[in-house]
Amino acid sequence: MRSLLFLAALCTATLAQQKQSDFYTIESIPLPPGEVMEMGSIALMPGDKVAVTTRRGDLWICEGAYGTDLSQVKWTRFAQGLHEPLGMYWKDGSLYLTQRPEFSRLQDSDGDGSADVFETINSDWGINGDYHEYAFGTSPDKNGDVWITLCLTGSGGAASDWRGWTVRVTPDGKMIPTCSGIRSPGGIGFNAEGDVFYTDNQGLWNGSSSLKWLKPGSFQGNPTGNKYHKLANLPAPPEPVSGSRVLAERLKFPDYIPPAIILPHGKVGQSPTAIVPDLGGGKFGPWAGQVYIGEQTHSQVQRACLEKVNGIYQGAVFHFLEGFQCGIIPAKLDERGMLFVGGSNRGWASRGNQPFNFDRVKWNGKTPFEIHTMSAQPDGFSLTFTEPVEPASAANPASYSMEAWTYILQSGYGSPEVDQATPVVKSASVAPDGKSVRLVIDGLVRSHVHHLKAPGVKSANGLTLWHPEAFYTLNEIPK
Amino acid sequence: MFPPRLLFPLIPLLLHSHLKAQDGEQLYGLYCAACHAPDGKGATGGAFPPLAGSEWLHGNPKRSVAIVLKGLHGPIEVGGKSYNLEMPPQGDALGDDQIVAILNFVHKAWGNKGQEVKRDLVRVVRAEFTTRTTPWTAPELLKLFPFEKKPTALANLTSRVYKGQWNQTPDFTKIQSENVEEEHSGILDTALAAMKEDFGIVWEGDFMAPADGEYSFILDADDGAKLILDGKTVAEVKGLGPIDGSRVAKGKATLKAGANPIRIEYFQGKGQQGISLGWKTASTKKWQWVSASSQKNTGGNPQIPLMPQDGKTVIYRNFIKGSTARGIGFGFPGEVNMVYSADNLAPELIWAGDFMDAGLHWTNRGQGFQTPMSDEVITLTAQRSLAPTARFKGYSLDPKGNPTFHVKIDGQLLSDAFALGADGTLVRTLKLSGGTSVLEIPLGDNPSVTTEKSVSLAPDKPVTVTYKLR
Repeated sequence: MRSLLFLAALCTATLAQQKQSDFYTIESIPLPPGEVMEMGSIALMPGDKVAVTTRRGDLWICEGAYGTDLSQVKWTRFAQGLHEPLGMYWKDGSLYLTQRPEFSRLQDSDGDGSADVFETINSDWGINGDYHEYAFGTSPDKNGDVWITLCLTGSGGAASDWRGWTVRVTPDGKMIPTCSGIRSPGGIGFNAEGDVFYTDNQGLWNGSSSLKWLKPGSFQGNPTGNKYHKLANLPAPPEPVSGSRVLAERLKFPDYIPPAIILPHGKVGQSPTAIVPDLGGGKFGPWAGQVYIGEQTHSQVQRACLEKVNGIYQGAVFHFLEGFQCGIIPAKLDERGMLFVGGSNRGWASRGNQPFNFDRVKWNGKTPFEIHTMSAQPDGFSLTFTEPVEPASAANPASYSMEAWTYILQSGYGSPEVDQATPVVKSASVAPDGKSVRLVIDGLVRSHVHHLKAPGVKSANGLTLWHPEAFYTLNEIPK
Repeated sequence: MFPPRLLFPLIPLLLHSHLKAQDGEQLYGLYCAACHAPDGKGATGGAFPPLAGSEWLHGNPKRSVAIVLKGLHGPIEVGGKSYNLEMPPQGDALGDDQIVAILNFVHKAWGNKGQEVKRDLVRVVRAEFTTRTTPWTAPELLKLFPFEKKPTALANLTSRVYKGQWNQTPDFTKIQSENVEEEHSGILDTALAAMKEDFGIVWEGDFMAPADGEYSFILDADDGAKLILDGKTVAEVKGLGPIDGSRVAKGKATLKAGANPIRIEYFQGKGQQGISLGWKTASTKKWQWVSASSQKNTGGNPQIPLMPQDGKTVIYRNFIKGSTARGIGFGFPGEVNMVYSADNLAPELIWAGDFMDAGLHWTNRGQGFQTPMSDEVITLTAQRSLAPTARFKGYSLDPKGNPTFHVKIDGQLLSDAFALGADGTLVRTLKLSGGTSVLEIPLGDNPSVTTEKSVSLAPDKPVTVTYKLR
């Protein structure tokens, strides 16, 4: 009898299970036949055209990527012989590219459909022939500056000028070294407010991959590129102590900005890449103002909500889209709510086992039952939900559990999860509209990742959460 | 109902053994499977090294532990296929228990027969290499933890070395050998001759067939080689050429279990040398190598030669040997090629013939500088002559893809155009605009290419230089 009941409960749970295809459609955009299209960057152009660059150095323009019949897409090669571009945007008739050695502007001056002007706007950073010296660039910020983040030489060196730094290139082509402490970026972009973030990969002085805030003048934790403070006429930050923690080191040095959101290694991907703000006002789902983060190794896209506490960014990351056929590197969200993603797994493997992909993702307008935001409170967290919760389950502290940990800040590669703690959910109060829940929690730990699991929470319609967990990096506990 | 007292002590036991068995597999899925694939065969259809059947997991288990702790860098051969990737070190990210669980899973999964890894071993290996901060290379690992030497199929092997200059495998029976040695390793290795060029080697011995049946052979050499079994030629690599798979020879022979007389003839002309010989049967599937080298004919970078298309110049912007990291290669129609350095603001290399092979940079991670596809690359200049304030401003292309490079030097603009001239020449047109300064542009010292060693460039007075390549 008991087992029958259990089986019945299991069936109900299965029926109530939400899945990705209930809300989002991933479609592969056909690529030019015979071409190796390992994606490095994507730019949205007028007239519904989409430009992509490949790691082999081609730039192709796609017409029909928004069309209903994707078999009708038309590709035109606009340029070749570029040096691994990892950032691109369209402005006033030109395509602007962050290439490995320079920031450049491409133009088709004779209108024959292919680029004939390759203007170097700035090339003041060094490269020495090491494959690891990647350069990822943004679109212009509110001042018109383009932010370029420069990977170290190899895993742990800074053999060429400004490796381990983020620089800005101004509209008149000047380079301004802006942030130090970078290790191995996988992408750079803005949040909805226009502040600049990059993703840095687990490795030396990086216990886990994370989303980091590039506050101008900040130090991001990896001291390898600190020799270039001299070149910038700036005092170098104090060398972090290997074996320490981010919190301990940043308290000694306020310009050390901690990771805004840690993407726990293995649990939320392994190689974060593109950063895409949702500025479409909810056309890609009810996530207006949040950011999406590409993930190369796990072939996913994560979703994150950010908030500022005591002047420092922090927030939560949620699992979101998965099952892409290759590791995601670039991504762009169109204002009409079409997400374009491109991938490559050359040199770095991915769960999706195709060597490259170019996909579009559409939301079908149905709202998944999901944690919408998670924000810090002096004594816990508040959660908002996309749909009203069922009060009995959501008000039951047993519907939630929490674990917390941090990572060692060390010169070695990565870190295990350490300093584990188990914060206890004491109470959960549901707002009258059922759209938010206030959790009072004992044992919050400043600077730790707080892993919330909410498998017991049900929607008013009896659904369990699409993704019943969140990972909040609690840099600051609000007063 | 079971009385609770009886049931409870069982639970931890069950859970414990269950979790322990699962842990390694789960951790493998989390930390390793992205590259090595859930089935251990290497991600993306084997584009990443397999662990299933990997010879690196067998023998001394310290080798596996060392790799996980410190990572692995650069070229490595696994299961007869070569890879050139980067495995990040896990020693600072994974605890001893996790490493033990992962390795004990991997050592027994997919038919592997690796040894058990004990927790103490991880501790010991950690301590042993605590000061090491860089990932291993494959040769370092093999020096520390060599593969167990197994007898190869070649028994009673002798080698004879010959001196001579040949374009084809000669009739060695008519030449006097310099010396004879026994080769107990059962391995073919051209290094035994200790010569660089113009020599030959003949190996003779017994091919020890494990059973009656048909045997396949694969032979490659730089330069030529011939495989003879029971007096019959089974495979031959003819003439001069590289050992890169492009001339590989395959053959079959039906053999009786036990000793079958084998003879391998080899000759080396100039340049690179080497021989590889493998065998398999229908049931063994994988090539068994009886030579020191095996990777050349099964892996390495695929060749991706680039050439001009539709009468337009092809561009290759990457790390090109002989120029700087900001080299930009141009392959003009008519087999004329150049590399311009955006660091040194000058053309640095020119050559006739084929352009560039992109195989190095367009596979794996693309580490290193690629040599142009010619043995006769001419270096024009190799350092910067313009003022430190000079800045590269990019290039423009004419409809045929001919480039004009733009350089800003204080108040002046230098345009530096290149196009194909008559009779395989490269014509360079330099033009300076603005200001009054006269620029001295060095052209290098290559009288066969251009007799001028430098030009003086005054504003608005263009100068043309013709480089003769043939």
